[in-house]
Amino acid sequence: MYEFVTGPLVWISFIIFFVGMTVKIVSLIRLAKEKDKVVFNHLDAGWSIRSIVFWLIPFGSRSMREKPVFTVISYTFHVCLLATPIFLLSHNILWDERWGISWWTLSESVTDYMTLIFLVAVVGLMGRRIILPEVRIVTRAYDYLLLLIAAAPFITGFLAYHQWGPYKAMLIIHVLCGEIMLIAIPFTKLSHMLLFFLTRAHIGSEMGRRREAKTW
Amino acid sequence: MAENAVDSKFIKERLAVLKGGRFKAWLEICANCAYCADSCFFYLANNKDPKFMPAYKIKETLGKLYKKNGDVTREELEKIADIAYGDCNGCRRCSLYCPFGIDIAVMIAAVRGICNSQGLAPEGLSTAAKNHLEFGNQMAITEEEFTETVEWMEEEYAEEMKGLEIPIDKKGAEMLYVLNAREVKYYPQDIGEAAMLFTVAGENWTMSKDAWDMTNLAMFAGDAKVMAHAVKIIYDAAEKLGVKWIGTSE
Repeated sequence: MYEFVTGPLVWISFIIFFVGMTVKIVSLIRLAKEKDKVVFNHLDAGWSIRSIVFWLIPFGSRSMREKPVFTVISYTFHVCLLATPIFLLSHNILWDERWGISWWTLSESVTDYMTLIFLVAVVGLMGRRIILPEVRIVTRAYDYLLLLIAAAPFITGFLAYHQWGPYKAMLIIHVLCGEIMLIAIPFTKLSHMLLFFLTRAHIGSEMGRRREAKTW
Repeated sequence: MAENAVDSKFIKERLAVLKGGRFKAWLEICANCAYCADSCFFYLANNKDPKFMPAYKIKETLGKLYKKNGDVTREELEKIADIAYGDCNGCRRCSLYCPFGIDIAVMIAAVRGICNSQGLAPEGLSTAAKNHLEFGNQMAITEEEFTETVEWMEEEYAEEMKGLEIPIDKKGAEMLYVLNAREVKYYPQDIGEAAMLFTVAGENWTMSKDAWDMTNLAMFAGDAKVMAHAVKIIYDAAEKLGVKWIGTSE
């Protein structure tokens, strides 16, 4: 079982993730070329890049500055979500053994704290959905499910690392959770991971090149 | 079509046409984060009533239409029209506050188009659109009334300023001046004052009796055909007169 989930299933999930996202992006651009000509007649590299970069920098946009608490929570969430699995020591050892590739790693205590901080951020995002009326009114069960999909690999990874509960089973569940997340990205709202760049490029050009207004 | 009927076949087709790359991506990635809430003055002015937050307005209008694939009752569509015309004025501020830059106002405009097709546009807007199609201006001012008003203003203001003219359909002019129909109907002195400015500035300008109203209430009604017509008649007039540019009031 362990061999299967860390072997073929990893490949399958990565292929679904990469192929799924490529198909999604290519088909969206194609559809836009056919139906949304307004996107392309004012597309502008300078305005697009600025629109993307200012929204990647913490507090880079007015929107983020007006909601500092949410910005900190959301930022922490995203940085930990991406950085923890990529720079985790044991992940790097694993793919060094399997494929002979590895890169910089963070110390295990750092990633342990990052996991906990991430989980606090998840609780913050969930709490926000429950407490604030303007978020509650647009929140559906689906939004909690997505948060759960993102949090599951961290919870199970944390338990496996500290060997709380049945280690071997926990490890298998952990790998499965990670694979579920990868597979889910192209088919859910999680696709904003890459579509963010497309929609931001559009609005940056739409507001920028058309009317010299910045979108950050 | 009966008073209470909804042409859901038409709405279905319209929804399919609308679903291009933008709508697809926008509807798919909205994370319901509510960054848009505080950008909306409807929301702020209504004591932060969550019903006025932009993402919710889309869910209750376009979201609902897509979910039901156009199979909505008259009552449901009336509710949708209330939101699309009454709770959003299409200022697009929320798209500047959205992390994904989702253009909510463009989607509301699309919803208005659907409501308008089922005769649910507010009366003031649909009357204006009808007028624009028939008279070339939103206030149903006839060519005779327009010419008389302009000539009257020319006489009055020429007394104040020597050499003042308000040319109509003057070939070889550099600028076509277009204005708000309200100026012709209620504030004709605005035309005289603009003429004073142009005279002092030494502009070579003209007005056109075929196209002089630059307002576009059909756009707010969601009537794409009349919206395009209103713009086209001005460009046609500009091309016919061979002007270099179009100047607008306000």
